[in-house]
Amino acid sequence: MKRTSAVLFTVVVLVLAVSAVMSAAEITLMTWGGDFIPRVIIEEFEQETGIRVNYKEVTSNEDMQSLLEANPDQYDLLVTTDYMVDILRQNGMLEVLDKSKLPNYANINPLYLGKYYDPDSEYAIPYAVSISLLLVNHEEVEKLGAKPITTYSDLWQPELRNKVVVVDWSVEIMGIVLKSLGYDYNETDPEKVAQAREKLFALKPNIVRFETNTPEDSLINGEAVVGFMYSNQAVKGNAADPRLQPVFPTEGMPIFIDCWVMSKEAPNKDGAYQFLDFIMRPEIAARIADITKFTTPNKAAEPYLPDYYRNNPMLNLPDEVAANTSFYIGVDKVLEEYEHIYVEFKLR
Amino acid sequence: MRTWKRNLLAVPILLWIGLLVGIPMLLVVALSFLSRDHLGNIVYQFTLDNWRKVVDPIYLRVFWNSLLMALLTALITLLVGYPVAYITSNLSPRRRALSLGLIMLPFWISSLLRTYGWMILLGNAGVINNVLMALGLIERPLPMMYKFGTSLVGTAYMLLPFMIVAVFNSVDKLDRSLLEASYDLGASRWKTFFHITIPLTLPGIVGGFTLVFIPALGLYFVSDLLGGGNTVFLGNLIHTLATRGRNRPLAAAFSLGMVALALMVLAFYWKVTKDKTGEGLFQ
Amino acid sequence: MRDKTSRFGVFYLSLFFVMLYLPVLSVVLYSFNASSSTAQWTGWSLEWYRQLFRDRTIGQAFRTSIQVAVLTAILSAVLGTFTAVVSMWVSARMKKALQGIMILPLIVPEVALGVSLLFFFNALRLPFGILTLVLSHSLFCVPYVYIMVRLRLAEIDASIIESALDLGASTWQMVRTIILPLVAPSIVTAALLCLAMSLDDVIISTYMSGPRSTTLPVHVFSMMRVGVTPKVNALCTLILVGTFFIIGVSQLITKKRRFAK
Repeated sequence: MKRTSAVLFTVVVLVLAVSAVMSAAEITLMTWGGDFIPRVIIEEFEQETGIRVNYKEVTSNEDMQSLLEANPDQYDLLVTTDYMVDILRQNGMLEVLDKSKLPNYANINPLYLGKYYDPDSEYAIPYAVSISLLLVNHEEVEKLGAKPITTYSDLWQPELRNKVVVVDWSVEIMGIVLKSLGYDYNETDPEKVAQAREKLFALKPNIVRFETNTPEDSLINGEAVVGFMYSNQAVKGNAADPRLQPVFPTEGMPIFIDCWVMSKEAPNKDGAYQFLDFIMRPEIAARIADITKFTTPNKAAEPYLPDYYRNNPMLNLPDEVAANTSFYIGVDKVLEEYEHIYVEFKLR
Repeated sequence: MRTWKRNLLAVPILLWIGLLVGIPMLLVVALSFLSRDHLGNIVYQFTLDNWRKVVDPIYLRVFWNSLLMALLTALITLLVGYPVAYITSNLSPRRRALSLGLIMLPFWISSLLRTYGWMILLGNAGVINNVLMALGLIERPLPMMYKFGTSLVGTAYMLLPFMIVAVFNSVDKLDRSLLEASYDLGASRWKTFFHITIPLTLPGIVGGFTLVFIPALGLYFVSDLLGGGNTVFLGNLIHTLATRGRNRPLAAAFSLGMVALALMVLAFYWKVTKDKTGEGLFQ
Repeated sequence: MRDKTSRFGVFYLSLFFVMLYLPVLSVVLYSFNASSSTAQWTGWSLEWYRQLFRDRTIGQAFRTSIQVAVLTAILSAVLGTFTAVVSMWVSARMKKALQGIMILPLIVPEVALGVSLLFFFNALRLPFGILTLVLSHSLFCVPYVYIMVRLRLAEIDASIIESALDLGASTWQMVRTIILPLVAPSIVTAALLCLAMSLDDVIISTYMSGPRSTTLPVHVFSMMRVGVTPKVNALCTLILVGTFFIIGVSQLITKKRRFAK
C-alpha cells in the first residue's frame, strides 16, 4: 500500500513537472477555426521548436475583440481582419512588433504594408489577402438571354431575375451600388446615398440569396448564375466547376487583409516571435496559401507556389486588378444609415 | 417547518440565478442608454437615441416579422408535437423510452449541420427534387429554398423537442379513467378530446408554447441559411449590430425590445389560459 | 401494460420519425461525399473518416463537449428538481419570485449573458474551461428542468404533503418516497433536453471555454468562414451509430429481463 502511494506520488509529481515545463513553452493563438491556420503547419512548428500551440477558435472578429479585451494576458497572437486591427491598435491592445526578431519579415510584399489600419507597419503582419469579385457562369447567363457580365451594372438586367447571390452585409451591397453609379465606397453625401438607395431597391428581384459563408455553392448547384463573393470562395467555386469564371468588375473592388497581431500582454512573446517568423518562411507561406486559398502577401513564397495557384488570377492578383481595389475606410460614418437602408431593402 | 425556514431554502437558487443572469440583464438595460465612439467602444454618456431608433417604422416591421415567425413556429410545433407526445404516452414503458430517446437523439447533432441537412433535402439539386424528377412527377426542380416557409420549417424543426417534452409531461399524468368515463357517458372521441384532454393538458401546452416561442425569436442562423437572408428577423438584426455593425448599445436596445415582445405575448397567453390551468405553470 | 395505440397512431408516429430523421440522414449521406461541399455529390469516399481520425482538435472538442454536457445535465437536474420541489411549499410571494427568476435565463440575450459572465468569472478568478462551461450551461438548463418538474408536480395537492409532514414523516422521507418517484420521468426527459442544449450551445461556449478548450459546436461554427468540412458529418455519423448501438443493446437487455421474469 505504501509502495503504491509512493509510486502514485512520484507519478503525480512527474506529471505536474512535465505539464509545468510544457506550459512554460506554449503559445496561444486565436482566430477562425477550420484550416485557417493549417494544423499540419502548426504541428511542424511544434515538432521543430517544442513549443506547444493552443488554437482558440472563434466565429467572428468581434468575438476576438471581446475575449482579448477581457483577458489580454491569456492570448499571444491573433489573426484578425484589417478593420479590427485598426480598432485593437487604437484601443491600445497591441504590441509593437520587434522586427529584429523577425528576419523573415523581409519576405512580406511591401504592397501590403503601411495600410490605414497600421500606417507605420508597427503592429500587424499581413497573413491572408482577399478581394470581393464576381463569379459568373457565362454559359447560363447567355442562355437566360442576358448580355455578358463585366461590370456591377450588368447585375441589374431583368433577365437575371432570382439568379444572383451576394454576400450578406449592408456596407458591401451598398458598395456595389455606389460603385455602379461611379461613386466611392462609404459615400455620405445625402443626395448620392438617396440615389443609391433607389437603385439598390431595384436590385431586389434579382437576388435569390444573401450568403456570407458559402455563396459559391449556389453557383455550383445552379440556383444562381452570378455571385458577388470573396476571392477564396470564388476559387473553390471555380475548382468545383470550371465553367464558373471570375469577373473583376471594372468599377473597382474591395480588398481585405487578415493580419497577425500580438497582444500587448502576451504571456510568451518569444514563442510568439518564433511562430511568426516560422510562418513567414517562404516555403511555409506557400503551403499555407495552397491550403487556405487566400492570396499570400509573402513575396518570397512565389517560387514555391504550385502552378495552378500562380496561373489563377483570383489568387495571384494581376497588378491592374490589385491597383483597382480599395478598403472600406470610414465605415463608422455610414454603418447606421446603410444598415437601415439595407433592412428596408430586405423587407421589400 | 415554518414558512420562513422553507423560504430560506429558495434563497440560494434566487441568488445564484439572480446574480449570474440578473446582473447581465441590468447591464444590457444600462448599455441601451449609453453611446459609442467611432470604433464601437462604449462611451459612458446617457442618451435616448437608441430607443428612438428602435421605434423607427422600418425596424417595427422587423419586430412584426419576428413575432409572426415565433407564433407560427409555436403553432406548428404544437400541431405536430401534441399528437407525438400523446401517442408516445400511450406506448408500453419500454417503447415509450425508445420513442423519447429517438425524439431527442437528432438534437445531439450540431444544429448547423442539421440545417445543412435541410438544405441538402430541399435544394434545387437536392434529394427531394431529384427523387421527384426521377419518378417523373415534376419536370423541373421545385424551388423550395430561401422562402419564409423554409425558415419556418427549419425553426420549427429545431424547437420541436421542447414542445413534445412539455406536452408529454402533461399528457402522461392525465388520468385515463376520466377519458373512459367520458366514453361511457356516450361522448365521442373528438368531444372527449376537446372537452377533457385538451383542458387537462393545458399546462403542458402553455409550457411548450413558452419554451418554443422565446428561442424562436432569436434563432438567427437558421433563417439566414434556409431563408437565404431574404428577410430580416430580430435575431439577425441584433447579431449584425453587435458584431460588424459596431453598435452594441443599439443591439442592447433591440434585445430588450425582443425581451419585451416575448413577455407581452407570454403575459397575454398566460392570462388567457390562467383560469383553465388551475394550479398552472406561471401565476 | 399493453400498448393502447391505434393503428393510425403508429402510422403517424412512423411518419413523424421519418421527417425527423430525413435531415439527419442527409448529414450522414454527405459524410461519404467525395466533395467537400454540400452543393454537389461527386461520388462515394471514406476520405473524411480518414481525416477525422487524424484530426486531434475535433476529437478533443468532442470529448470536452461530452464532459460538459453530462455534468451540466446532472447539475441542472439536481438544481432544477430542488427548486421545483421547494417552490411547492414556500410562501406565495417567494413562489412568484422563483417563477420570475426562472424565466430570466430564457429571455436574456445569449451574447449579453456570455460577455457578462466572462467578466464575472474573471473577477472571481475562475479558470476558464470545463468548470465555467458547466456553470454557464446549467444557468440556461435549470429553468427547463424546473418547468418540466413543476408541470408534473402541478397536480399534487399541497395538503397531502402537509399531512404527511404532520404525521411525522421527515421532509427528506417525504421527498424520497412520494415526490421523487412521481417526478422521475420528468427529470429524465428534462436531463436529456439539457444534454442536447449543452451539446448545441455556441455563443455562451465561445466566451466560457477559455484559451485551452473548445467545444464541438464552437469548433463547427468557427469553421464557417473557410468552410465546414464533412469531417464533422463523419463525426456526427459515428456519434449516431454509437448511440443507436447503445439504445439497441439496452432495449435487448430490458427485453431479455422481461422474458426472464
